[in-house]
Amino acid sequence: MKLLLFVVAIAVTVAVAVTLAAVALFVRGALTLYRRIAAGAPSPGRLGPVGPRLGAMITEILSHRRFSARPLVRVAHWVVMVSFILLVPTLAIAYVQVLAPDAELPLVGGWVVWQWLLELFSVGGLLAIVTLFVVRLRHRSDPDDAAAARDWRSRFFGSTRWQAYFVEAVIAVVLVCVLVMHTLRSAALARYPETAADGGWAHYPLTFWAGQLFWNLSPAALDAGISTAAALKIITSMIWLGVVGYATTMSVAWHRFLGVVNVYARRERDGRPALGAATPMLVDGKPFDIRDIDDLDEDATFGIGSIDEFGWKGLLDFASCTECGRCQDLCPAWNTGKPLSPKLVTLALRDQAAGGAHTGDVFAALRSSGVQPAGAAEAGLVPTVINPDALWACTTCGACTDQCPVDIEHVDHLINLRRHEVMVKSDFPEEFGSLYGNLDTKGNPWGLPPRQRFDWAKGLEFEVPVLGVDVTSAAEVDYVLWVGCSGAYDEKGKKTTRAFAELLHLAGVRFAVLGEAETCCGDSARRTGNEATYQGLAVQNIETMAEFGVTKVVASCAHCLNTVGREYAQLGASYTVEHHTQVLNRLIREGRLNPVAPPEEERVAITYHDPCYLGRHNGETSAPRELLAAVAAAPVVEMEHHGTQSMCCGAGGGRMWAEESLGTRINAARMDEAVATGAATVATACPFCSIMLGDAAAGRDAAPAVTDVAHLVLAGVKRGLDNPTQPKTED
Amino acid sequence: MKILTCVKYVPDAGDEVGFDSDLRLGRTGPSSKLSELDEYAVEQALRLKATMDDATVTVLSVGPADAEVALRKALQMGADEAVLISDGAIAGSDVFGTAAVLIAAAKHLDEVGLVMCGMSSTDAGVGALPALLADALGWPLLSNAAEVSVEDGQARIVRTDEVGTRVVTAAPPAVVSVTDQSGEPRYPSFKDVLAAKKKSVTTLGLAEVGVSADLVGAGAARVQVTAVVRNPERAAGRVIVDVDGSSVDDIVEFLAAATK
Ligand code: SF4
Ligand code: SF4
Repeated sequence: MKLLLFVVAIAVTVAVAVTLAAVALFVRGALTLYRRIAAGAPSPGRLGPVGPRLGAMITEILSHRRFSARPLVRVAHWVVMVSFILLVPTLAIAYVQVLAPDAELPLVGGWVVWQWLLELFSVGGLLAIVTLFVVRLRHRSDPDDAAAARDWRSRFFGSTRWQAYFVEAVIAVVLVCVLVMHTLRSAALARYPETAADGGWAHYPLTFWAGQLFWNLSPAALDAGISTAAALKIITSMIWLGVVGYATTMSVAWHRFLGVVNVYARRERDGRPALGAATPMLVDGKPFDIRDIDDLDEDATFGIGSIDEFGWKGLLDFASCTECGRCQDLCPAWNTGKPLSPKLVTLALRDQAAGGAHTGDVFAALRSSGVQPAGAAEAGLVPTVINPDALWACTTCGACTDQCPVDIEHVDHLINLRRHEVMVKSDFPEEFGSLYGNLDTKGNPWGLPPRQRFDWAKGLEFEVPVLGVDVTSAAEVDYVLWVGCSGAYDEKGKKTTRAFAELLHLAGVRFAVLGEAETCCGDSARRTGNEATYQGLAVQNIETMAEFGVTKVVASCAHCLNTVGREYAQLGASYTVEHHTQVLNRLIREGRLNPVAPPEEERVAITYHDPCYLGRHNGETSAPRELLAAVAAAPVVEMEHHGTQSMCCGAGGGRMWAEESLGTRINAARMDEAVATGAATVATACPFCSIMLGDAAAGRDAAPAVTDVAHLVLAGVKRGLDNPTQPKTED
Repeated sequence: MKILTCVKYVPDAGDEVGFDSDLRLGRTGPSSKLSELDEYAVEQALRLKATMDDATVTVLSVGPADAEVALRKALQMGADEAVLISDGAIAGSDVFGTAAVLIAAAKHLDEVGLVMCGMSSTDAGVGALPALLADALGWPLLSNAAEVSVEDGQARIVRTDEVGTRVVTAAPPAVVSVTDQSGEPRYPSFKDVLAAKKKSVTTLGLAEVGVSADLVGAGAARVQVTAVVRNPERAAGRVIVDVDGSSVDDIVEFLAAATK
C-alpha cells in the first residue's frame, strides 16, 4: 500500500512539474509564432467575412477533400485528427484520474455514446497512426545518404524525420494509455455485480474483452494501473507540448493549430485553391495599378525581396507546412531534376522567418538538391535563401497549391519573389530580356510585326469580321474570338485558330475578332514577375475591348482564358470568357455541330493532356474529354497524371521562352507518360502544350501525333458533312 | 569623366520599312525606337560607369522631336542625362551631316572623356560614324569592341575579327564603338523606369551647338539615294521528306550543287 502511495505521489509530482514546464514552453512558443506572423505585411481581406470563411474552413477540414488523391491517407489522417480532438478533454480528466482513478468527465463521462466514440477513435486512431507511420517508412529517404541525395521519388525527402516520428510516437503512446485505462477501468467495474452493468461491453465495447484478463487483480492494483497510465499519458502529452513549444519551426506539429487558421484565411473564400488569377502585386498594401504610376511613392518597392515583406498570411503559410511533400511529389520541375521543390522553398522561407536555422534533414536536402545555394550570406531572399535556378524553374502549373492540405499559396509566393527580381533588381534569365522587349514594343513574345497579327485568317473561305472594321460593336456578334499570340503567329497555333474559326462558321455562330488591335494578354510577363509589362498590355486590351463593348469572349489558349477571364477583373474589367472546348461542347449538345466518329477500322486510341491553366487553374477537365468521346466514339485513355493532377508540359510560368538546361526536359517526361498509354494521338487544348508536346514527339522514333482537340472535332464534323446519311454519333 | 553615348532613333528593323517619295526612310511607321546596336553602346557605357569613381553617362541623339523616345529608353537603362539636337534644317542629312552635329555637340558639352557608339545604325547601316567622329575630334578610335574597360586611366578594348583577337588601348579622350558581342543590354527594372521619369531630356537647336545650317540637311548631303529596290521575296526552299534513307542521293546532289 505504501509503495502504491509512493508511486502515486511520484506520478502526481512529475505530472504537475512536467505540465508546468510544458505549458510555459508552449505559451512562449505560441507567442513567438504569433509575433513572428503578425510582423508580416498586411494581407488584406484574409480575416473576413467570418461566416463564409468559417464555413469553407469547416467543410474543407471535415471533408479532407484535399486528400482525394490518397484515399488511405485521407481516412487515416481524418481518424487521427478526430481522435486528437476527442482526447483533449480526456487529458484534462487524466489529472484527476492520477489521484482518483474512478473519476469521469463531467456530463459525458459514463455516457454510452461518448464511451463508444472514445473507444472507436482510440482503436481507430492507433490503427491509423500505425498506417501513417508505415506510409512514411515506405517513402523513407535520407538526404544525407549520398546515393539517394537527389531521391525525388520520396515526397518526404527533406522532411525532418525525427519530428514526424516523434509526433507519431506520441499519438501512439497516448492512445495506448487511453486504451489501457479503459481496459483496467472496465475490469474494475465489471467484476463487481453492483457495477457490472457500467463496466460491460455496452460501455466499453472494445476494451471490455481485454479487461476480463485483469479481473483477478486487486482493486488497488487496478487503480494504481489507471493512475500510472493517466500519468504516462499526461507526461507524454506534455513532452509533446513542451517540445513543440520549444521548436517553433516544427510545423509538422504546429499544423494542428496553424493549419486551421491558414485554411480559414485562404485566398479563395469559396474553397478553391489559390490558383487561376495570380495574386495582385501590393505596393504599400494596395494593389499596384500601372494607370496610377504617377502617384507611386519614390521609394516604393515591388514584389517580395526579404522575408519581412511577406504578408502575414505568407508567414502563416510557411509556419503551417506539414512537411507532407505532396507538393513536391507532383512538381514537374522537381521530378525532372531541377533544384525547385515547392516544399523545400516553403521550408527555407519558414526557417528564414525564424532566424535561419534548419534541422539536419532540411539543411541536407536544401543543399544537396541546390534549392539553397551554398554561397555567402547576403541581404535578400534570392540568391541566399532561394536559388535563382529554383525560382525560375517554376512553371506555375499549380500542382503544389492544388495538392497542399493546408492551403499554402506557393505559386503566388514564387510570383511575388520573381516580381522583386524583375522590377527592382532586373535580374532574370537572359531570354526574358528579349521576351520583355518584344512584348513592350511589339505586343507579342516573338517580336513579330503587329501588322501580321491577323494573317492567320488569310485564305479562309469565309470572312472573319474584325471589330472596328467590319462590325462596329460586339453587340452584333455572339462571341469575340480572342486569338492570342500563339494563335496568331505560331504555325501550329494558326492552324488551330483556323480550325476553330471554321467550326464557329459551320455552326452559324456570329463572331468577330479584334484583328491587329489585339495584343498579347500578358500571361508570360505576369508569371515571370514583370507586372508592369503585363499591366501595360492588359490595360491596352481592356481599352480596346471597352471601345467595342466586348463582354463575351472565347479563347483557344488556356493562358489567355485565364488572364483575360480572371485577371483583367483585377484591373476593373469584366468579361465572360470561355474556352473553345467549352463552346464546341455546347454547340455539339445543341446540335449545331454534328461530328461523326471515324469508321471502325480508322479509329485510334486518344489520350488527353490537360493544360494546367484549363484544368487545375480553371477547373475544366470534362469539356475536352466529352468532346473527344463524341468525336472518337471511345473514352480517352488516361495518362498516369491527368485531370487536376495532370503534369505540366513545361511551358507555363514563362518557361515557354527560356532554355531548359537543368535536369531532363519536362515535355519529354510528359511524352513518356503519353507513350505509355499506347495511344496514337495526344489531344490537348492549349497552343503552348501543342508546341511543347509536339517538340517532344519530334524528338523520338515512334511518338503519338499531337493535336488540338479542335482539329479532331473539325475532322469529325467534316466527316458528317461528307456522309450526311451516317448516324451522328455511334453508340 | 563624361561618357558621351551617341544613339540613333530608327525604324524598327523587324517591321516593314516604308520609303517616302524622296526615297528617304518613312518616319511615319508604327514603331521607331532606340537602335538595337546602340543599346549595346549604352550598356557598355553604363558598365564602364559602374567601374569608375566619377563617371557620368550622357546620351546624345540627332533627330526629330520623336527621338526623345530613344533617349528616354537610354535614361531608363540608367543614363544620367540626355541631349537631343533637333532642328528642321537637319532633316535629310547624310552621315557627314549627322557627324558634324555630333562633333559640335561633343565639343559643346564639357569634360567628355569617351564617346561611345554602336557599330552601325540599323537603318542606313553606313557604319562610318565612329571614324568620322574620331577623325574630326582628333581622338583615337577604338572600334568594334567586344569588350571595353578603363584601367589605370587607359581605355582598353578587345576586338575579335577573322584574324584573331586584338587588345587595343588608348588614353582618353577617345572614341569607342562596340559590337553586338559586347554583352546583352539590360532590361530596365521598373524602379529604373520610375527613376527615369524624373530625368529630363535637353533639346538644343543647331545654333545652340554652333553648327551652320549649310553643313546639314539634304542640300549638304554628299550621299544621294538614287533608287530603292526591294529584294525579291525569297523563293520557297526545297523540302526533302525521308524516313527510310532513300533520298540520300538527292541530298548529296543538293549539297554538291550548293557548294560548287
Ligand atoms: S507551380 Fe508547378 S512547377 Fe511551380 S513549384 Fe508548384 S508544382 Fe512546381
Ligand atoms: S507545402 Fe503543403 S503540400 Fe507541401 S509539404 Fe507543406 S503542407 Fe505538404
